[in-house]
Amino acid sequence: MSWLEPHILSNLVTLGLLVGLVFAARVVRAQRLWREAAVELWHRRRFAILVVGVYLLIGLADSISWTGGVPEDAVGVLPNAPLSILDRAFLDSREASYSAPFADVEFYGGDALRHPGGHPLGTDILGRDVFYLSLKGARVALLIGGLTSLIAIPLALLFGVCAGYFGGRFDDFVFFLISTMASMPSLLLLIALIMVMGRSTFSVCIALAVTGWVGFCRLTRAETLKLRELDYIQAARALGVSEAKIIFRHILPNLAHLIVITFVLMFSGLVLSEAVLSWLGIGVDGSWGQMIDGARDELSRQPVVWWNIAAAGSALFGLILAVNSVGDAVRDVLDPRTARES
Amino acid sequence: MKYEQMSGGHRAVNAGCAKTTLRRAQGGVLSAIRGPSDVASRLLGLGLAIVFSLSACSNDPYPPEDGEAKVLYSSFDAAPRTLDPATAYTTKAHSVTGVVYDTLLKYHFLKRPLELIPGLAVDLPLVTPLEGGRTRYRFTLREDLLFADDDCFELSGEGRRTREIVSADIAFQLMRLADPLIGSPVAETFANIDGFVEFAATLEAHREEDPAFADQAAHEQYAAAGGVRGIEMPSRYVLDITLHRAYPQIKYWFAMEFTTPVPWEAIAYYTGQDGRPRFDDHPVGAGPFVLSEYDKQSRYVLSKNPNWYGVRHPEWKAPAAIFPTEGDEEDRRSGRMAYAGRSLPLIDRVVVVREKESIPRFNKFLQGYYDASGVIKESFDSVIQGDGLSVEMEGLGMRLGKAVSPDVYYIGFNMNDEVVGRFGGESSRKIRQAMSLAVDSEEFLRIFQNGRGVPAQSPLPPGIYGYESGYENTFRQPNIERAKELMTEAGYQNGIDPTTGEALTLTFDTSSTSTAGLNQVRFYTNAWRQLGIDVQIDGTTYNQFQEKLRQGDYQIFQFGWVADYPDPENFLFLLWSKMGKSDFGGPNATNFSDARFDELFVSMKARDNGPQRIAEIEEMLSILERERPWIELFHREDYSLYQGWVKNVKPMGLSIPTYQYRDIDPTSRSEKRKAWNEPVQWPAYVLLLAGVMVIVPGVLTYFKERQ
Amino acid sequence: MGAYVLRRLGYGVGVVLGVLFLLFLLFFTITAPEDIARKALGDKAPPEAIQTWLENHEYDRPLWPWQDWDENLLFDHYRKMLTFDFGVSDADDSPIIDRIKAGMGPSLSLTVPLLVLGLLISIPLSLLVAFFRETYIDRMGVFLCVLAMSVSTLLYIIGAQFLIGKVLRWYPISGFDASLAMLPRFLALPVLVGLISGVGGDVRFYRTVFLEESNRDFVRTARAKGAGEARIMVFHVLRNAMIPILTRVVLAIPFLFMGALLLEAFFGIPGLGSMTVDAIQSNDFSTMRTMVYIGSLLFVFGQVATDISYGLVDPRVSVE
Repeated sequence: MSWLEPHILSNLVTLGLLVGLVFAARVVRAQRLWREAAVELWHRRRFAILVVGVYLLIGLADSISWTGGVPEDAVGVLPNAPLSILDRAFLDSREASYSAPFADVEFYGGDALRHPGGHPLGTDILGRDVFYLSLKGARVALLIGGLTSLIAIPLALLFGVCAGYFGGRFDDFVFFLISTMASMPSLLLLIALIMVMGRSTFSVCIALAVTGWVGFCRLTRAETLKLRELDYIQAARALGVSEAKIIFRHILPNLAHLIVITFVLMFSGLVLSEAVLSWLGIGVDGSWGQMIDGARDELSRQPVVWWNIAAAGSALFGLILAVNSVGDAVRDVLDPRTARES
Repeated sequence: MKYEQMSGGHRAVNAGCAKTTLRRAQGGVLSAIRGPSDVASRLLGLGLAIVFSLSACSNDPYPPEDGEAKVLYSSFDAAPRTLDPATAYTTKAHSVTGVVYDTLLKYHFLKRPLELIPGLAVDLPLVTPLEGGRTRYRFTLREDLLFADDDCFELSGEGRRTREIVSADIAFQLMRLADPLIGSPVAETFANIDGFVEFAATLEAHREEDPAFADQAAHEQYAAAGGVRGIEMPSRYVLDITLHRAYPQIKYWFAMEFTTPVPWEAIAYYTGQDGRPRFDDHPVGAGPFVLSEYDKQSRYVLSKNPNWYGVRHPEWKAPAAIFPTEGDEEDRRSGRMAYAGRSLPLIDRVVVVREKESIPRFNKFLQGYYDASGVIKESFDSVIQGDGLSVEMEGLGMRLGKAVSPDVYYIGFNMNDEVVGRFGGESSRKIRQAMSLAVDSEEFLRIFQNGRGVPAQSPLPPGIYGYESGYENTFRQPNIERAKELMTEAGYQNGIDPTTGEALTLTFDTSSTSTAGLNQVRFYTNAWRQLGIDVQIDGTTYNQFQEKLRQGDYQIFQFGWVADYPDPENFLFLLWSKMGKSDFGGPNATNFSDARFDELFVSMKARDNGPQRIAEIEEMLSILERERPWIELFHREDYSLYQGWVKNVKPMGLSIPTYQYRDIDPTSRSEKRKAWNEPVQWPAYVLLLAGVMVIVPGVLTYFKERQ
Repeated sequence: MGAYVLRRLGYGVGVVLGVLFLLFLLFFTITAPEDIARKALGDKAPPEAIQTWLENHEYDRPLWPWQDWDENLLFDHYRKMLTFDFGVSDADDSPIIDRIKAGMGPSLSLTVPLLVLGLLISIPLSLLVAFFRETYIDRMGVFLCVLAMSVSTLLYIIGAQFLIGKVLRWYPISGFDASLAMLPRFLALPVLVGLISGVGGDVRFYRTVFLEESNRDFVRTARAKGAGEARIMVFHVLRNAMIPILTRVVLAIPFLFMGALLLEAFFGIPGLGSMTVDAIQSNDFSTMRTMVYIGSLLFVFGQVATDISYGLVDPRVSVE
């Protein structure tokens, strides 16, 4: 058993993220401005933040997995496969095919279910519990939104700040790069990248990041251009302060609010565009987008199989609404130009 | 105070200026709203506008004139690449070429299994064996057949632009099949004709030597190259085809559009230059319909061809121009025999609209805007419950037509693979047999096709000679216990690979990466998981998949094959070693190679139907049963859903369109459409109300601010 | 200034060349010329037919210049695109320029109303919301926007088709008929769906811009001088916000021609967007590169124009 099994990697990364989160919380607590902003945010959007928190917990439950401990008579599971907390909660929930929420019999054909009344959101075409699938989709969505943003934002910052600050040849190069990437139809780029890298979550994240960093880069470049002309920055340059210091101590902190806002706003856009990728056949396995795409056929059945698309659609809507809501409040709180002056 | 809120805390000093500033505010963005009465009138206007647009709204996609004619409505998802009968080889193309072009032979509309009847020919061909293993097929064309009216012909005496069809027109088309510049996909088949290949070589040689030669019109080039030795025209209406190798299946090809008569004038005229369309987009044929309108991106229209012999000479009562007089029990029950002897076509027009997505297509069918649901061979979402229509559908007057399609869908093992192929010997064979026992076709059909379809026991589908309905393939009767035993016998108890101590890992290569496609593959992998085998799914693009096949870099895959003609050779050749994918680039994607099978195949291929042929086929099937290069899944059963006002739908399979046999009742259709599509009006008022309820507090806020 | 313009134009040209190269690279990494032939001729085509097709369409040569300097696909690619020799579609040999002319009408008939109506609805709405900031109107407006933005476009389309086309039967589910009488009926649903899915984001964006502008020093000065709030909104805020608004609009113009992809696919509108998607899925390289090329030309032109006007209008952006 090699040590780089995918589930062990995932466990480690999850642990890393948790540690990172704790660290970030401590940083926020230390700085007055950020602490006040966080408190303000909590006051405004308690409910939305809680909702996001619930999704995060669910995602967490699906990210920690280990092998072994599978009962003998479990149906449809390989004994040595790594299973997460979520998987184990729903270990023996499989039926043969469709069943309606809380039903006792199969939807087509009327055969008795193995767990009558035990599926609050019904089962899908392969008999998997839809509630379970919706919960599993949370981790995928969080990965797509979060990981992609974590790749795209630093990339955009790197190019944008340097282009805006240093100007000249580098700016020309970045402008060239941005324009070229922006005029490519992102569809083509996405399809090509995903097909070359293989269909996995990671390759989808990279592909989305490559097609999505351009917008933020333009923004940081424009902002950096403006910031560079500010009095105190010009003074610092005149005084001979090193460029790196200026960037890290003056420019970046002024962009921090933009980073947070962009992160939150990009998140929802990415998750929504994954649904379109699933429609094209290059999405991530197990995502809500894939459930919605698969459910399109089901709407034309007689009688209609509605619970698949309702569950995935609601789960998606819930997360995006909460994130957008929080994002709006974050922007209101952090952006000095729209914040109310007290 | 308003100012306090608006300016972020900056108090207005001059409260007394309120009045003047308000007047100035009226010059601003809210200048359009001058007072409460204005607001009310604006809302009313908006409401009226909504209602007005609603009253003119309707979800009928067709202009009103279409309502009462005998028009059939159908849909297509993408235009065929070409309608040239020499190269068109897809179902999409055949749905047009099959009725716009006509052939020497046709299939009987009602008889199953399919039977050949004379079409443009007076009778079935006269077969004469000649010396040297050659065979001659003599066709006699009917006299006084005309092509459809078209601009490519000279104006003739009666004010029409057409001419009589002669056997030279068929010879011309056959020579086009040989022409390397056209690159017909079936040239290989017709190479059985004496001199076919030599003709192609001569043509190419002439073109290379003399560039001026290539500038001549096609028919002149063919004449100068001397024609094909095995294609002769002893008289104006007689055509002799001589084969230098025995190939009894050639007669089926004369029922396919590849052998339709094509006028040389059309080839010379429709070059795609000078504003004329290309021949690929402008067919000129002799069929019951003409392509009167063709917009590849949105719709095309087939109209009754007044020059068709069935329309011009109904008195001939030609077998392919009248509704058949013989049918089976099911035909009598469904009322088709009431049409016996009537002249075809029964309708005036077929309007085919582009519909790319399946949900809109099906929903429009339910609304009565399409007369039949889907195209026969392409996938369409099922709507049937159980064995027949749901009560609701029957209430709408819908009818259901069922026909088993002459095809087979299967999972294949790459026999060149080390683990699952022939090089693993006895052990691998047992693994294949075990995996074959684990896949339950009936369950698959139940889940994914609502039970439509016939679980396959062998490559041969019902309706093909050699198919026996009672035959049961031992390894296609699901039996998990026995499968587990076989795995143990193969050395993989519980699926554990003895060398690694872990589950045996195999790969399933697929190019269907849509959710629906993946779910189907997951069904198989779930089945194999019961044996403890871990089958990973490797989904790629179609191109990458084809590349893998060419490189031989695959293990397990799934495929389907649809018959070109109703003969077992057209299925069993998929397992002939000479058709191997990796070695010869042929369609035998499993690379199956068994000496005895090959021997039997070669013998069966040329033999006429009879007890000896049956014996050979049976032995071949038993070899396949034992070796398991395929896990035969099912033969599709096509359900055609059609509206109550459409008559005579009986799918023939083989991509053959049958518009000329359909009839419709236009009055019934327009009534039903109206009844099913009354716009539902009350939600509009609810929406209006909801809008008002959201806006009113806003308006009140505005007034409050004014105080 | 002149040097700036020339430099920007120069980059434009560079960008177009870069796009062409990237396109070539991406496409041929995942597809070989034989695959194009196979998609065009169908599965059952024998190898000889494929070879003939490749020769007839000039694909029977190596990809890269270092393989054969005189005859290679990359140089052919550049030559054809730079001389605007679009040729014929690989899928069905129909002239691409005809396809473009045919597809432009339907695409524009969808995207232009979408753009115009979108602006007409979202700008007044966001002005209204910004005007009444912090009141019920503002909160309700923002909430509705966030709500509207949080639903996937895919769901909107499926839902609208199901609800309005099938259940309520107000408009046809899909299809297209260019005649004047039938056109509004077919455009009603896609335009409605496009508006609903877009308005949320637009209003929020414009609201932010308006709020930002209305807090500026010179606006506050105007208020202090006693100017009416509504007048301020229109004459000062709106005018200054025109820059980001115009930028957004101008950048969107090239994509008007490309069509709204999802809407065209689901509503059966035979426009350029669906033509591009079809080309990608059917390995139709010549159509796809033409569409991308034209799109990038328009986009670059739009961006250069915006950059120049930005430099002219906003004094804070120093142009070196």
